[in-house]
Amino acid sequence: MYEFIDTESVIVLALILIVIVFAAFFPLAFIYSMLFGWIHQSSRAKKLLVREQRVAGVVGGDNIHTLSSPINLEKISQCGLVMTNITVSPSWWQLFIGGIKSIFGGQIQSYDKVLAYGRAEVMQRLREQALGEGWSEIINVRVETSMVMNKVKGGQQNKIGTLEFLAYGTGIR
Amino acid sequence: MEMMTSNTETIPGFKITKSLGVATGSTVRAKHIGKDILAGLKNIVGGELKAYTELLMEARTEALGRMMMDAGQRGANAVVNVRFATSSVAGGAAELFAYGTAVTVEQE
Repeated sequence: MYEFIDTESVIVLALILIVIVFAAFFPLAFIYSMLFGWIHQSSRAKKLLVREQRVAGVVGGDNIHTLSSPINLEKISQCGLVMTNITVSPSWWQLFIGGIKSIFGGQIQSYDKVLAYGRAEVMQRLREQALGEGWSEIINVRVETSMVMNKVKGGQQNKIGTLEFLAYGTGIR
Repeated sequence: MEMMTSNTETIPGFKITKSLGVATGSTVRAKHIGKDILAGLKNIVGGELKAYTELLMEARTEALGRMMMDAGQRGANAVVNVRFATSSVAGGAAELFAYGTAVTVEQE
């Protein structure tokens, strides 16, 4: 019975399937983003809190600061640049909510959370790197924000909302 | 001796004996298409995009390495006041630039 199925109908069927999959993907992904985005993000934020407490317990305070001279260390034998980064983006749902909110202005809480998480995470990575590489403290810490990985289309920025945070400082021991 | 780098104006505990000008290093990176698609999928739930994080850190490390090589050619043993600059060039390519003052230092 298979001889009745010719290649043309197979190609047409495949094309229809591809169109259905593509048409269904974006709404489904959007609903997934709405339902599970905040679960994913809040679990990351909780893990970050645990890590912060652990490092605070080991160091007994904070081992990074923004002053240009050391606080605790008397004699310095070595120093080096320490840097870490993170790239974060709001979920599709947060982008959508932010887009609506930006019509009326005011605080946009959905972006707030993502940016606060990114900055806290990058500072925590700096602390962990200082512990890992054996620096006793990191002085002159700076945090920079840039939007580098966005696509530029026809002179206008395509709004994906990808942000990079860079934290760097001078490690001393 | 390993070259010392710092983003403070002087290295605490050391004395600057000679300034040798500005040392620079830069690199331009574009993102990988496969990683870009994966990052686009990750974008649905938001949060960290690991592919971009790694790409940018790798590129920045290279820029810093080139800066240190430039400083080494000038005969410096330290680079002070290191700064980073980032600019997006076109179509998702990023230029990462590191610069600082090449100096010779000795312990006080």
